[in-house]
Amino acid sequence: MTINTQTNNSWTTRRDAKTKRMNKITHITDSRVIPTDRMVEVLEELLLPGDRVVLEGNNQKQASFLSQSLSQVNSAKVYDLHMVLSSISRPEHLDIFESGIAEKVDFAYAGPQSLRIAQMIEDKELTMGEIHTYIELYGRLFIDLIPTIALVAADKADSDGNLYTGANTEETPTIVEAAAFRDGIVIAQVNEITDDLPRVDIPGSWVDLVVEADEPYQLEPLFTRDPRHITDIQVLLAMITIRGIYEKHQVQSLNHGVGYNTAAIELLLPTYGESLGLKGKICKHWALNPHPTMIPAIESGWVESIHCFGGEVGMEEYTSRRPDVFFTGRDGSLRSNRTLSQLAGQYAVDLFVGSSLQIDSVGNSSTVTNGRLAGFGGAPNMGHDPGGRRHSTPAWLNMMTSEDPLARGKKLVVQVVETHQIGNTPVFVESLDAIDVKNEADLATAPVMIYGDDVTHVVTEEGIAYLYKAKSLEERREALAAIAGVTPVGVRYSPKDIQKLRQEGIVAFPEDLGIRRSEANRSLLAAKNIEELVEWSGGLYNPPEKFQSW
Amino acid sequence: MSTVFLFPGQGSQKPRMFQDLPDHPVVRKVFEEASDELDESVYQWDVESKLSSTIAVQICLLVSGVASARVLKEKGAVPDFVAGHSVGTFGAAVVAGALEFKDAVRLVRMRGEWMEQSFKKGYGMGVVTGLGERQLNGLIDEYNQNERNIYLANLNSSRQMTIAGSLPELRRFMEIAIANHAQKAELLDVAVPSHCSLLNELSLKLEAELDRLSVKNPEIPYAGNLRGRVLRRGEAIKKDLAWNVSHSVHWHEATSLLYELGVRLFVEMLPGNVLTKLAEDAFPEARAISISDDGSDTAAILVNRL
Repeated sequence: MTINTQTNNSWTTRRDAKTKRMNKITHITDSRVIPTDRMVEVLEELLLPGDRVVLEGNNQKQASFLSQSLSQVNSAKVYDLHMVLSSISRPEHLDIFESGIAEKVDFAYAGPQSLRIAQMIEDKELTMGEIHTYIELYGRLFIDLIPTIALVAADKADSDGNLYTGANTEETPTIVEAAAFRDGIVIAQVNEITDDLPRVDIPGSWVDLVVEADEPYQLEPLFTRDPRHITDIQVLLAMITIRGIYEKHQVQSLNHGVGYNTAAIELLLPTYGESLGLKGKICKHWALNPHPTMIPAIESGWVESIHCFGGEVGMEEYTSRRPDVFFTGRDGSLRSNRTLSQLAGQYAVDLFVGSSLQIDSVGNSSTVTNGRLAGFGGAPNMGHDPGGRRHSTPAWLNMMTSEDPLARGKKLVVQVVETHQIGNTPVFVESLDAIDVKNEADLATAPVMIYGDDVTHVVTEEGIAYLYKAKSLEERREALAAIAGVTPVGVRYSPKDIQKLRQEGIVAFPEDLGIRRSEANRSLLAAKNIEELVEWSGGLYNPPEKFQSW
Repeated sequence: MSTVFLFPGQGSQKPRMFQDLPDHPVVRKVFEEASDELDESVYQWDVESKLSSTIAVQICLLVSGVASARVLKEKGAVPDFVAGHSVGTFGAAVVAGALEFKDAVRLVRMRGEWMEQSFKKGYGMGVVTGLGERQLNGLIDEYNQNERNIYLANLNSSRQMTIAGSLPELRRFMEIAIANHAQKAELLDVAVPSHCSLLNELSLKLEAELDRLSVKNPEIPYAGNLRGRVLRRGEAIKKDLAWNVSHSVHWHEATSLLYELGVRLFVEMLPGNVLTKLAEDAFPEARAISISDDGSDTAAILVNRL
């Protein structure tokens, strides 16, 4: 008989530690509900130096009451926290490092605080963990970045801790799951505590404490693009993309990043797309936020399904009245899920379209700006060819370029850019600024957004480079140069025989696609301003005040 | 959402600029204090003939800036941050509560005098627009390889920078900048090559003067010129005041940091609206106003509303 000498060791240290912590606040509350004015005190009791804290804040929804409360704790009691944030968006997300409450950070995106975090790294005011993509960050919450405490936001809670998130479920279930099933403590701020929840998005048994915030959580309308700002050149880019990529490769499922280029494509489907007879053939299934610029395509019957990362301010009523298209709950409102939609956008769609500030001579791209550290967000998750993919679709198969019996298809990863940014800065450059940023911020790798070998197509106002067809690095450079205009890349690698590239279908100019530049103008847009989007929606879209001009 | 008061530097002055200040007891008090410290009435220092002296210009900017902020304070409008451009830092430090006004007057006069003395004939500054910092720095490095000396001075926006050096070299370099796709490159009406190492001596002397004073920790955080950081300690502000004249003003970085810290209202003190225009261009989602164009009543209402 073997004797297990380990039997005296405890296997419940985590659970015991949680119980001990929870007992420290019994004098504050004997239920799940924390009084609003005692939130700071609760955090001071529950948190221990060095704890790993996941604070919900993606680029739309922010647990703003909890982040403010955290920034007010006594730094003599609570210090050296390890913060895990998918998005560093609010000033207090970084204030807590200045005051010593927090010490180390892991994050995915820091756009709204990108200068400050770069300064703080340079001044050694915080310790950098890693800059992740969304999926990697969410994944590591279950591996080696498991939260001690999760601070999240929801619309409503009942006294049993059940949460209703409304349209903005986003990443809340993922964060809560990582903490709840690993003896972490889950605290949710809600706009309202009520016993009449429209539906339950997160069950109360996953949630330890709820608190009614002093004001509703911060929510930003980040995916609203006013069609008024779309230019004729962007209309041209959209026509080239629809003709030369969506139609040519029969793209049926896709993700669009946020931007005016993709907004133009969305608004051209019911007009230009319709005139090409493409309705029902392309762009049927989407992993996408409820972009207001999708309304005309939806109303014209182009769209079969949309799964959303999050909600969009003003689109609540519209999405709830289009349950055939959007995922909705029994209460009627949108159900989003950032993790699942990112995964869908990574593995389950034919195509990703993004934009970029810089592209080098082989197609690596970056949105890094000098002196700033914005991170990645989710674009690299969706903007790459997932090598593990096995299912086939016509577009995926269409990317095969060899007769090899084991040949596989490819995700279409498309970059749509103008050859120059505003102010005449070239987009196509010899070397990415990301390489300097790597050195300045002492990063392990250069912050490349989309790697060149994942990019299948680049679209500019000059035409399309079908990079997946290039047979050598040299040909790849020439294809890019052929559409890079008067930029360092366009000038230096200009192809010797452009006709040959066009004949072989490695490069296409608008005329090769039957597009006349003179036809590319704003009159093709299905809606030319926000007001027309409201009209298309039958009054269901309720744009935020800052987009209302009437 | 918070507010910053901006204090303009040289270039914003105009003849009779004091006329824009309201007739208010706090304004009169600023003039009296300045006049006492200088042992001469400053009421007429803003006349055109006087403004050919950089001493008068800098004193007038200080007086206008501090008087504007004190009028706003009377109306209950106090900022969350202050930021000054070049000599504007002195007004910012006064309003932040770090520096006594009379000390600022004395220091600014010395700064002006020393600049006039160190005035090297045939030197000056230029402005280049349409190139990024990296591009412009690359061109400057290349140009300076042949034993030449052009300096990158102020970084006012992501695409507007000033350069300093000798006039012939400035002219030669600006041709190169235009050939490399700068939108505009022209000489400024400034006779001193400020914000570059040619003025290091002056900074040393200013620092020695500042070391004799007490510069307190500010009541209102101060966004600095040297590194574009928000400063909360008197010692750091002292350094910023002494050394900005011989270093690049990182204006774009400082104001971008303020924006990230939640500033959505930029209010420029008298005179002029140069900094307002920079803020409007850089931060379309924020509001930028100047006392010069919008008046102190409007400014006070907007500050109090936030």
